[in-house]
Amino acid sequence: MTARIYKNKKAVPFFLIPAFLFMFVYLYYPFVQNIINSFMHIKYIGTSGGELNTPVLKNYITMIQDPKMLIALKNTGIMIIATIIGQVGLALLFALLVSNIKKGSGFFRTVFFFPIVISATALGLLFNLIFLYDKGMINQILQFVGYLDISTNELIDWKAEHAMFTMMTPVIWQYVGFYFVILLTGLAGIPQELYEAAFIDGGTKWQTVKYITLPLLKNSIATCVVLAVTGALKVFDLPWTMFVNGMSDTWLTGTYMYSKVYSDADYASAIAVVIVVLGVVLSVVVNRIFRQDADYDAS
Amino acid sequence: MNNTKSKKLHISPGMVVVYLLLILWSLTTIFPLVWSVLNSFKNKKMIYSNSFSLPIGDAFSLDNYRNIFANYNILSAYRNSFVISGTVALVVILFAGMAAYVLTRYDFVGKSILNALLYAGMMFPIFSTIIPVLRMQASWGIVNTSSVPVNLLSVILPQIAGNLSFAIIVLSSYIRTLPIELEEAAHMEGCNIFQIFFRIVMPLCRPSFVTVGIFSFLWSYNDLFTQMFFLRTKDNWAITILLNNIASKEGVNYGALFGSVTLIVIPVLIIYLVLNKQIIKGMTVGAVKG
Amino acid sequence: MKKATALLLSGMMALSMVGCGASDTATTEEPTTDTAAEAEDTTSAPEGGVTIQVTTTYAGEDTNAQNYKDAVAAWEAETGNKVEDSSATSDETFKSRIVTDFEAGSEPDVLFYFNGVDSNQFVEQGKVVSVDEIRETYPDYASNMKDDLLGASPADGVNYSVPVNGYWEGMFVNKEVCEAAGVEVPTADTTWEEFMDICATIKDAGYTPIACSLQEVPHYWFEYAIYNHQDAKTHNTLPTSADDEIGQAWAAGLNDIKGLYEDGFLPENTLTATDAETFQLFTEDKAAFLIDGSWKVGGIESAVDDIENFTVTHVPGMGNRKSTDEIGGLSMGYFITRKGYDDADKQAACVSFVEYMTSDEVVSKFAGTSVTALKNGAKPDTSSFTALGNAALEYAGSFTGISPAVQDNLNEAARAPIFGDMASIVKGSVDAADAVAEVLSIANE
Repeated sequence: MTARIYKNKKAVPFFLIPAFLFMFVYLYYPFVQNIINSFMHIKYIGTSGGELNTPVLKNYITMIQDPKMLIALKNTGIMIIATIIGQVGLALLFALLVSNIKKGSGFFRTVFFFPIVISATALGLLFNLIFLYDKGMINQILQFVGYLDISTNELIDWKAEHAMFTMMTPVIWQYVGFYFVILLTGLAGIPQELYEAAFIDGGTKWQTVKYITLPLLKNSIATCVVLAVTGALKVFDLPWTMFVNGMSDTWLTGTYMYSKVYSDADYASAIAVVIVVLGVVLSVVVNRIFRQDADYDAS
Repeated sequence: MNNTKSKKLHISPGMVVVYLLLILWSLTTIFPLVWSVLNSFKNKKMIYSNSFSLPIGDAFSLDNYRNIFANYNILSAYRNSFVISGTVALVVILFAGMAAYVLTRYDFVGKSILNALLYAGMMFPIFSTIIPVLRMQASWGIVNTSSVPVNLLSVILPQIAGNLSFAIIVLSSYIRTLPIELEEAAHMEGCNIFQIFFRIVMPLCRPSFVTVGIFSFLWSYNDLFTQMFFLRTKDNWAITILLNNIASKEGVNYGALFGSVTLIVIPVLIIYLVLNKQIIKGMTVGAVKG
Repeated sequence: MKKATALLLSGMMALSMVGCGASDTATTEEPTTDTAAEAEDTTSAPEGGVTIQVTTTYAGEDTNAQNYKDAVAAWEAETGNKVEDSSATSDETFKSRIVTDFEAGSEPDVLFYFNGVDSNQFVEQGKVVSVDEIRETYPDYASNMKDDLLGASPADGVNYSVPVNGYWEGMFVNKEVCEAAGVEVPTADTTWEEFMDICATIKDAGYTPIACSLQEVPHYWFEYAIYNHQDAKTHNTLPTSADDEIGQAWAAGLNDIKGLYEDGFLPENTLTATDAETFQLFTEDKAAFLIDGSWKVGGIESAVDDIENFTVTHVPGMGNRKSTDEIGGLSMGYFITRKGYDDADKQAACVSFVEYMTSDEVVSKFAGTSVTALKNGAKPDTSSFTALGNAALEYAGSFTGISPAVQDNLNEAARAPIFGDMASIVKGSVDAADAVAEVLSIANE
């Protein structure tokens, strides 16, 4: 599999050391401490060590029995599926559409990027006003079109009755642009000649996409799916600004961990370990799935 | 731009649907930005009473900006931000590119472990690593010093580490699609491995390096959490923490919040507009060389 | 001087010199241009000038943020010393930064911080200096304060900090809503039963009686609801078990809140609304009552057009608690850290700074209508007070009993079963007594 020129491996360490040194010092070493903390009893956040929990696995035992953690896992599972379909799916659709139009593609490239640059605080506020109970944008529209009865001031409490929808929509919407940009960059790497050849051979648009674009874009798509899955596991800022303290049982693993960071540091560490383990496992699974039928085009 | 679909060219029904879809989505993405900018020209009582109205006539107010520019050294904050995020983006591109190249092209012992570590590195929640990092950097004496560059460094270093995993994973997926023949040809002509990376791989992958650079810059720029731990005195403040302080100054003063959002977003959008050209240029370059 | 063009230029400049080396020259020049007024103090350490690091919570939305800035500048001008100020809004991030700083040895020289359980950690580790020790060398330190009000540490009962401005909690009233609903504004004589009738009348008139987000900020109602089953002497004591007298009082208080929820006296979406949202109900004449702290006076003043329409009164009491028995106290103070005090160069400057910031004049200015520990009492300048400010002053002067908030004796973890899960309690899926037991089991861990 390795090409001839890459048989001599002397240079490998020079290329790897800078990046991995940074990550060892700033990520892995602190996270090892985090793993140790998850077995400890920590009285104050910020203090090191303390004493071992009795039993040592206390936090993990608590977690299995913690109904909120189960809710968080269930909701995160829903979120993962929704982000794969909603974020990566939409982003792929838009990337294909934009790369196939002649006028205005620069415009769409730019505006699809907008949501990513606005801070979660501002977006949280915006969506809070959109989903607001009294005088919120959606409720006002529904009253205007007569779906809700104005005379009795009938209102929908979006954060109670459709809590999951209200929470997931902003998150999905915000990151479509992110995957859009990544996939667009992937499209940039596909040689134009292949399309021209396909056109000469009389292939339809759909055939071109199916037999040329998608197979060549597979690496990028796999990366996007991995990023979406891991992102869903740790997302917290936007849901947290909209749903403080997990109202209506909208806990996600990310928000639930955050809610424990300051009040129960060692339990939060244990949740972080679970998040990371799930993330690594799911990433490997995603890569397996995409690699299986990827063999034919792997040089 | 909306008039594009009325241009002659071919207006097949399919194209109309395509444009309708794209325009519909772009409306949802333009709306929040326009909404934020418009609200930044209103005082907070106006925002309370109707955040979706236009700031026209009496409703128009420059108070939010006047307040920000009169009371804060916003230029110093912009400069600190650009120093921090620019450095982060450049270092991430370089180091992540090198690592991604070797991880895709070479087979060596322990490669799968490194790959797993990469995915893990992306998962670490910032709040579970920040306290050991603070303690470590404090023991090196680079936290809370009297020197502004050193304080900026104490933000730059953890942010570089935080962006590397993502960058390596994304860059790997692009490098994998490069035809290996080009590298072999360069090797024949006597290029060593460093020359191949810097002269062949990096230029060919320019769009993806630009993309990764944009996102690293953006995340560093918007990363309030790390800044709150390491940038404490006013001379050290970067733009995000400065504007966070302004926005919180009057409690739920949404006017100041939107002024802040606008001031934070504008430079990023300018950078994106400029660099986006590089991504598009990559499309044509790829066509020539591919 | 700050024009858009200058902004753009500097942005481009910064862009062009991205990288470590180039930034050094630019950053060192900067402070002198903008703080020309204080140039004499800021230029490289004048003769005898000492720089001390100070961290406070006088930042962001704190009403005293500007007073603090002014006071620091005045002290700097008077002494020729300099303050390196790293104040920030007090939130969880700030608190964890403070404790980690103490752990890592990068704490400031002077710290204005909570004197309750939040300070236990660095008190237990001996990282702050007690008032008595300072008095051995500086006999007049905090001599203008009543010692028993300084705020002794819950860890060992010793005084470490010197307080400035305290707080009280009271019930703000939207008079227009009361009038529209045809009810009188509650007074010191209003009983709990009468208050319930008032709420019912307001509800029938189509208004929300009480603005409160049980999801985000149930803290004030928790405090007064359990206070109503105790009195000013017993309130500030944690139960030893959920079954003892205090534990039962807590459960009874929580059940009263459940009653408010069931009677519909809280906003319909109190379990999903944010505090900002319910506060808006109050300022927009849709809700009648709001329990909050003395710091909210400024927030109401800046949120409404007609401040005459608002007042503050006593939370109606029941049982042994008179309506005029209130929650209030001094929850924060200036600490001098061991690090700053043992530094021979800085010691005198630290002491001088705290003495200046806790002098009668400065405290009077900061205190407004709130409680102080001054022997001579605070003398706030009332000339600029609004109608609500005057009402607050009158309110603060009419207490018959005062107790600190008992929740300040609980750390974040112990509070969680009640404050993080109010929805389950009022909806009945968690029994109030069980929640209290859970709190105690965490607190005693």
